Amino acid sequence: MSERSIDVDLTRSSSGRVVKERVYKWLLFACAALTVFVTASIIVTLAADAIRFFEKVSPAAFYTGTEWVARSDGGTFGVWPLVTATLIITFVSALVAVPIGVAAAVYLSEYASDRMRSVLKPSLEILAGIPTVVYGYLALVYLTPALQWIGIPVSTFNLLSASVMVGIMIIPMVSSLSEDAMSSVPDSLRQAGYGMGATKYEVSTGVVIPAAISGIFSSFILALSRAIGETMIVVMAAGLRPRMFNFANPLDNLLSSGQPMTAGMVNAVTSDATGGSATYLSMFALGLTLFVITFVMNLASDYVASRYKEEYQ
Amino acid sequence: MATDQQTATWYGTGEAVSRVRGKAFKTLCLSATLLALVSVFVLLLYVANDAFQPLSADMGWLLVTIGTVVVPALGAIGYYYTRDTRAGETATIALGLPVASLLLTGGVFITFEHVVSVYQWLSILVSLVVAGGIVYAHSRVRTEADLERLVVVVAVPALALWFIPGLILSLPMLPTQSLTLLGSFVVPVAVVVGLFVRRQRENDRDGAIAAVLTLVGAAAGFGVAPIVGITPFVWMLLVTVTAVPVSLYVESVIRRGAGVSGLAFPLIVVGGIVASVVLTDALGFAGPTPWLDWGFLTNTPSRTPEDAGFYPPLVGSVMMLLIIVISAFPVGVGAALYLEEYAPQRGRWGRLVDLIEVNIGNLAGVPSVVYGVLGLALFIRAGGLGSGTALVGGFTVGLLILPIVIISSQEAISAVPDSMRQASYGMGATKWQTTRNVVLPEALPGIMTGNILAMGRAIGETAPLLIIGAPAVVRIAPSSFTNKFSAMPRQIYTWSGEIDAAFRHGVLAAGVVTLLVVLLLMNGAAILIRNKYQRRE
Repeated sequence: MSERSIDVDLTRSSSGRVVKERVYKWLLFACAALTVFVTASIIVTLAADAIRFFEKVSPAAFYTGTEWVARSDGGTFGVWPLVTATLIITFVSALVAVPIGVAAAVYLSEYASDRMRSVLKPSLEILAGIPTVVYGYLALVYLTPALQWIGIPVSTFNLLSASVMVGIMIIPMVSSLSEDAMSSVPDSLRQAGYGMGATKYEVSTGVVIPAAISGIFSSFILALSRAIGETMIVVMAAGLRPRMFNFANPLDNLLSSGQPMTAGMVNAVTSDATGGSATYLSMFALGLTLFVITFVMNLASDYVASRYKEEYQ
Repeated sequence: MATDQQTATWYGTGEAVSRVRGKAFKTLCLSATLLALVSVFVLLLYVANDAFQPLSADMGWLLVTIGTVVVPALGAIGYYYTRDTRAGETATIALGLPVASLLLTGGVFITFEHVVSVYQWLSILVSLVVAGGIVYAHSRVRTEADLERLVVVVAVPALALWFIPGLILSLPMLPTQSLTLLGSFVVPVAVVVGLFVRRQRENDRDGAIAAVLTLVGAAAGFGVAPIVGITPFVWMLLVTVTAVPVSLYVESVIRRGAGVSGLAFPLIVVGGIVASVVLTDALGFAGPTPWLDWGFLTNTPSRTPEDAGFYPPLVGSVMMLLIIVISAFPVGVGAALYLEEYAPQRGRWGRLVDLIEVNIGNLAGVPSVVYGVLGLALFIRAGGLGSGTALVGGFTVGLLILPIVIISSQEAISAVPDSMRQASYGMGATKWQTTRNVVLPEALPGIMTGNILAMGRAIGETAPLLIIGAPAVVRIAPSSFTNKFSAMPRQIYTWSGEIDAAFRHGVLAAGVVTLLVVLLLMNGAAILIRNKYQRRE
């Protein structure tokens, strides 16, 4: 038996084996190519139904309107109330996440002892692993009453607690990506700083942060794109009532409810709007806008990270 | 002197070297980090307090419990932390592993109860064994027919799965459920355990002993289980899914001989709980009335908070995970294998591959709600699958985590040292043989870690489920993949709309704690695999 198989192995043609190799290669390639198909179908499906929406509502009215009333039989679809709510969320969450995230990254990369790091890093990872529906619940049931208790006159649904929670949610993203950037700054730069008589503080702020600035900025962009696309926290804590930005009293916008774009999409599909109605189709127009914004931001993050990267040997 | 003035921007020349500033900065950074962590953990403490209501208990109950459970456990932790960190590690695993495997047992039970019946499982198993036999026989009889074998490998299992299950299910006489489980689930597990032990010990006899012990332990259920008060079916699952991994772990710790004292920790905790139950019963102290109890896990959702339960969403989450494991993981790992092993670096194809890589990075950043819309358009409107079914939910969330699976698998694959590939090529292996026999086994722990973390992400996703129309409340656990389903986060979202404080601060908290415990155990398992893998290197 074994003798025969040795004989055969040496003399037989390898065409079968070559075909087999090719089949596996193309099978694996198909898996990889599926991701392109996913992107393409996101664009196609969103665009197809967004076009149907724009046949009912003109794009000009959609992108310049300042009133959003979605009823099951139609309504007024001006996107700005939703966009301003999204911008408020993004801005306030950045105010929360950027300083804390960068400070955490500096601490982890420059100051923390090994033991401290082995506690803090997994804790931050756990923070990143908490589902957004849980953050939404925390904002709605605990943070909002806490804000009311300390005397901030927020309503039951409000943008303030939603955006603070979104900020907390994206802290781990900022801190871990920024820390990666800071850790990849070569030690020789730090040694040079110390050699010139710099203190640890001066090395951290004067050498490490400037050297890692491209990575830090790209982490901001990624985290903000995450904040823009965040759904459950804002749906649960910010409410579902769209309100135009109140220029007369900007702070009032934070204290009252609002409907960001993602919440608008959820509202369109969970309300009793029927399949072909403008309210239902508005979901696709919003989705397309959201997709384009986040896609551009992700590309920008890549670009910033690679374009302004300091090259070290 | 002149040069000194020109270089006035030397560090520290501007003012006296200040230690205060550096210390203040360090404290600021540390407190910012802690602020983020503490704020969330305090909120989670509130959630746990709401879910378990410890303050509703008698003062005596609390004191007894603190005395019997908390104090000894804290003492043990203190001992491990200061004296024997290795044992502390053992203690963590020894406490976590039984809990995690009990959870897995629950998952397997739900799968057999609602997804595939034992008989369906048996029929699938039989057809796979028959198909495997035919393929093997073919490879022995016609050693040269490589092309023919490709056809056989694809066609025979498909045909077997097509015909044999129906044949078996239509048999007039089938053995009882428990016997079927013994044959179709316990025996394969025993074989796997035997092979595992044999490979670990490189000893045939030990492997055989382990396999026989597993089989005997499970079969003992026919006699013992009724005495304990459970069905033989549950007994067998407990033995195979809970007892086997735990005893393998205990045995490995004892054999290793380091950190053995850590094994006492779960005994301290369990013994403390038993002592507390006995003492509080004897003294007549009433315990708390937690929202998260056995009734919550086994009831169906209800309008009254006291009766509200989590069972259908639990089943729904298990079904969704099954779909994801079957659909997204193979595709993701396949894509990662292509990108790391096969993808050309240069030329037109190289540029295409670059495009794919950039695209995957971007897909990871697409908001989850957009994936929901994609699932709605692709699977429900174009594919004709029913809205809000477990199948659509699994596929949609599977697409969402696909980029995460690919990226983490790529990292694991690229960590395999090149020398191993070279060695394999040097022995005449082809690319696919190298990939399958060298790269994949070596990268498997890393791939597993990434996949479990991705599963953790999948189990918490809510927004896509809202968009694909998963119903707000499912009162009967779904029995097939084409039924409407609800998952844990979806149910939590539904409850968050209730204004009643008993829902807000009770039922909702219990649901959130359940979800977080599942997640924590999954992440713990992933970290454990990663650590073990890293240490080996």
